Amino acid sequence: MPSVIETRSVVVEYPSVKGVLRLYEQGVSLKVDQGDFLAVLGGSGWGKSTLVNVVLGLEKPIHGSVSFRDHDVTRESFVKRCALVKTAAVFQRPTALPQMTVSQNLHLALSLAGVPRKDRDERIKEALAFFGLDKIERSYPDGLSAGQRRRIDLARALAVKPELLVIDEPTGDLDGSATNLLIPLLRGLNRNQGTTIFMTTALPRQASQAKHQVHLRPPLYLTPENRMIGD
Amino acid sequence: MEKPSWTPIVLSGAIPREATDLLAILVIGIVALQASLAAIGPTIPESRLWLSLLVVPPTCALASVSTTTRRTKEELALFAYGGSGWQILLRYFIRGAIIALLAFSPVLLQEFLTTTPMLELATTVIILLFAGGLFYSLPSLRRIRSSSFVEHYKS
Repeated sequence: MPSVIETRSVVVEYPSVKGVLRLYEQGVSLKVDQGDFLAVLGGSGWGKSTLVNVVLGLEKPIHGSVSFRDHDVTRESFVKRCALVKTAAVFQRPTALPQMTVSQNLHLALSLAGVPRKDRDERIKEALAFFGLDKIERSYPDGLSAGQRRRIDLARALAVKPELLVIDEPTGDLDGSATNLLIPLLRGLNRNQGTTIFMTTALPRQASQAKHQVHLRPPLYLTPENRMIGD
Repeated sequence: MEKPSWTPIVLSGAIPREATDLLAILVIGIVALQASLAAIGPTIPESRLWLSLLVVPPTCALASVSTTTRRTKEELALFAYGGSGWQILLRYFIRGAIIALLAFSPVLLQEFLTTTPMLELATTVIILLFAGGLFYSLPSLRRIRSSSFVEHYKS
């Protein structure tokens, strides 16, 4: 069976005041199979979120390629990737529509994902209850805490019942109890529903909960003399 | 002895130089020009209509640009939910077209009730919708295509 995600020798560069910032000097090559749970572990500024963006098609690598189910999607958009593998993404920064209530945000996501109208209410109710959002379902995201907005994103992503869940630092803005709930939830999703999970984290303890781990290396700066220096 | 001064705060930001300031100047300028021309003497009604239409692009662009922070959040969310760039642009194009149509409805109604030929009126409406939609969606297109857009997903 083809891998859900495969990256081959992916390298990303950014211009910076210190020179060109090169992420993944050796190139990131990884495979995420159907039903896998992969954790990408790395320090702050090592390119975890960039790798998420590359996997989702929001940033393009300068070298290397990305495939979804054996289709080269390196230059394809997130939407095209979703057509190959039903994907839900949770970013580091909360992304709920500010002019819609919590419940309306979930409704929109489910209708975009093509979930039949009759199933939406039930799924939303379930997701809101699970993340303790049922009491604020009529609230607007801007009035909520960062942790609550994070939980909206998680509820939105999981209500879609994706084949692939891409999640950037899942416990970023969550408090202790929510953090303790989340990783077992991800493991349960992976084990019971077969959801493939691609997760990034800076916490080795969290990464160890996944089936497989990939360790990123610190980035390098390419100086004008084309000499590599460490961070 | 060093003496604090309040003048730098005022002088460093008193000159209008941001895009929104320029758009506001343009809108007010067109309206002022129209008022001046009307006061000078008899004007051809068609020319007054076309002059009024000139207000549409800068006003729609101003409405779109002035809410950039909120709009960026909206765009990021729509992308995260699985929306595509053209869907987001269409959303704003339609919004801009509706704004222009609503704002211009008194003039269009007046033209409809007078002897304006239907073809001319239809052309005016099409131009109005296109100008409103295009200039309302252009700032969004610029944001979405910028390389810094996806950086907002990172903490």
